[in-house]
Amino acid sequence: MKKNLVQAYKQAPWRTQIQWIGIFLLVLIGVAVVAGVYLMISGRAAATGRRIQSLEAEISALEMEINDLKTQYAQVSSAKSLSERAEALNMTLLDPLKAMYIEVPGYVPPSQPALAPPPTVEDISTPVLLPEFTASLWDWLRLQVFIEPNLSAESTESNDTGLISPSPTEVTP
Amino acid sequence: MRTTNWNRFFIICVLASVIAGMAGIQLIRIQNIEGAKQILADSEAYQGINRMIYPERGSIYDSDGRLLAGNEVVYEVGLDLQAIQQPETVASVASSVLGLDYSRVLGYAQMTPGNGNPYFIVLDGFVSKDKIAQFESIKEDYANRSTKRGEVRPNLLGLVWTANNKRSYPEGTLASNMLGFYSFLDRTDGIGYFGVEEAYDDLMAGEPKLVYSAIDPNLLTSLEEVPPGVTVQLTFNREIQAMTEKKLDEAIEWSGAENGTIIVYNPETGEIIAMATAPRLDPNEYWNYSELFPNPKPFNSAISSTYEPGSVFKVLTMAAGLDSGVVTANTTFNDTGSLNVGGATIYNWNMGGWGEVDMTGCMQHSLNVCLAWLGMELGPDRFYSYMKSFGFDRNTGIDLGGESHWPLKLPGDGLWYEVDLATNSFGQGISVTPIQMVTAIGAIANDGKMMAPHVVKAMVIDGKQYNIDPVVVGTPVSAETAHTLTTMLVNSLENEASNALVEGYSLAGKTGTGEIATPLGYTNSSTNASFVGWGPADDPKFLVYVWLEKPEISIWGSEVAAPVFSDLVSDLVVLMNIPPDSIRLAEKSDNTSIVGTE
Repeated sequence: MKKNLVQAYKQAPWRTQIQWIGIFLLVLIGVAVVAGVYLMISGRAAATGRRIQSLEAEISALEMEINDLKTQYAQVSSAKSLSERAEALNMTLLDPLKAMYIEVPGYVPPSQPALAPPPTVEDISTPVLLPEFTASLWDWLRLQVFIEPNLSAESTESNDTGLISPSPTEVTP
Repeated sequence: MRTTNWNRFFIICVLASVIAGMAGIQLIRIQNIEGAKQILADSEAYQGINRMIYPERGSIYDSDGRLLAGNEVVYEVGLDLQAIQQPETVASVASSVLGLDYSRVLGYAQMTPGNGNPYFIVLDGFVSKDKIAQFESIKEDYANRSTKRGEVRPNLLGLVWTANNKRSYPEGTLASNMLGFYSFLDRTDGIGYFGVEEAYDDLMAGEPKLVYSAIDPNLLTSLEEVPPGVTVQLTFNREIQAMTEKKLDEAIEWSGAENGTIIVYNPETGEIIAMATAPRLDPNEYWNYSELFPNPKPFNSAISSTYEPGSVFKVLTMAAGLDSGVVTANTTFNDTGSLNVGGATIYNWNMGGWGEVDMTGCMQHSLNVCLAWLGMELGPDRFYSYMKSFGFDRNTGIDLGGESHWPLKLPGDGLWYEVDLATNSFGQGISVTPIQMVTAIGAIANDGKMMAPHVVKAMVIDGKQYNIDPVVVGTPVSAETAHTLTTMLVNSLENEASNALVEGYSLAGKTGTGEIATPLGYTNSSTNASFVGWGPADDPKFLVYVWLEKPEISIWGSEVAAPVFSDLVSDLVVLMNIPPDSIRLAEKSDNTSIVGTE
């Protein structure tokens, strides 16, 4: 049987050549697919990176604009400006002797405004963009294959000793 | 035939392998030649840009959240010499909009970059938005302009502008003595001078960071965040500050005084409610500083000017006398009109004797002889121990840049004589700053507890507000002493029908007329006229200190400073929403709230 097969290939060598060409094409297609996927991911990552930079620049410009508008507002509502506008409207300063005080049971005077909320328990900070959206294909594979399994193993070991060690997926924004 | 094909195939494979191998060897060789490291190092310069990011400077707000110092957008306009195509057009537009000399700008625009010439030239670092709008309008006009065949369309390529922050003080001169100023013209090394800008400069400036930004899209990362500087909220209210400054300016004009200071202070917390001095600099034009404050004129006399306070200081001597038990309110003193101490004779302000007077009478008539006697009764150890407790041997530590004090002369110094104890007792021969006086006398208005004076109420760091708690810096006298003295000063004001009184409000206070030392000795032709008062006497919410330097219409504090105090407090109680005593005390007993209206 084996002898017949060898003889058949000797009579038709194109069969061997087709086999080689087939293997070569298979490898070529494999490489092309991997390269294509890699190129696509890299392209998207680069475009996203550029967009992030552009958005960051926009944020920065908007913050400057907000500060500028706050300053402009403060300028038009400054003590001097309001005083001039009041005078233009023929308003006069209050005569303290004419002040009338009214009893308001239960009235609570407004407290002074705060500029920001008070500090609380430290918020758990998480990155805005998860690594899945920023890592390259290679980095992602490395994370999945080498790093995360190790983290899971460490987490299990720690729990075995009774220590609390939350896994990365337990972190919530 | 088959063998020939295989041979050819084999030869091609070998050749291809050899070529590939040689290419590989060459690649390895190139990476290891002498200049390879240099090439790699050079290439890094093209892989990204390192930029120093300066954080936005923290803002300053008043107690009601009104902006006192913020940031506005200005533009840096410059020439990118590599990008300029039409130097004449660029020079013409830039010079006309920015008001620059055409030939100078043209000279820049025609410069060839490199070989010692710059690549970028800044034309103006602080251009307003309006002017940038003009540039944009011209640029758009050029872009939309139709051109005939062969005609070149004008463009502004190479004329670039970048937005930047500039420190801005929307209230102009208001409270500038407390705010200080920031040297914003120096974009990278600007610092805060005086006031809050100096005291909190490091915090408000934030931390500049060197941020790397990759050019390779594959290496792009999110830019490192540079948090803004700390924002501060101050203790004073804009309206009260504006009113206080107005009253001070009017008082200086009315009295012909050389200068003046008014401090409104919350004795319960140590917060500065208002602090007015003259002159005041517009921090938006801080380069006028040296013109407005020729050396040695202090930027903020409330914290930097030392002077002999005169009779307002008697409040502290009397506090020491009462607290130590040397005298009580009812102790009597036989005033003969003079007292000899260490070879020097002390006289009263009217050079006369007042006979037998109690301690309230001593304060009411402001008797130097009586207070000098009290100082002698206390003795130097006790007297100066009290003065140290009141903080006269150090700065108050107020959170404003530029505070100073005059050292307290003490027995054993070499410069101290026995007569100093007598004169110090009524406020002569001792130099103090207004803020020292306010802090010390604040203890009398606050049950004996002396509070740390401060102007910052809260700080905003990383979006969270941290409030500053009041700090007790000492208890120089007991609460009982403080109440007794307050009652004595209420009575003395009412008994003499002082110019400082305000209808409907019980106030405690004391006048002061300090003689000014000259190279020829003390003169009473020009004085420091002052008044310190607080109220409501049963529950003080404010303490006001008025100091007028060398008034011309009268030398007496009772005639110059006391009316200013009264005028100011009349408006202050309205702005602070403090009803007259009759209503306020009824409110306390009824446990209701009062709303002020007209």
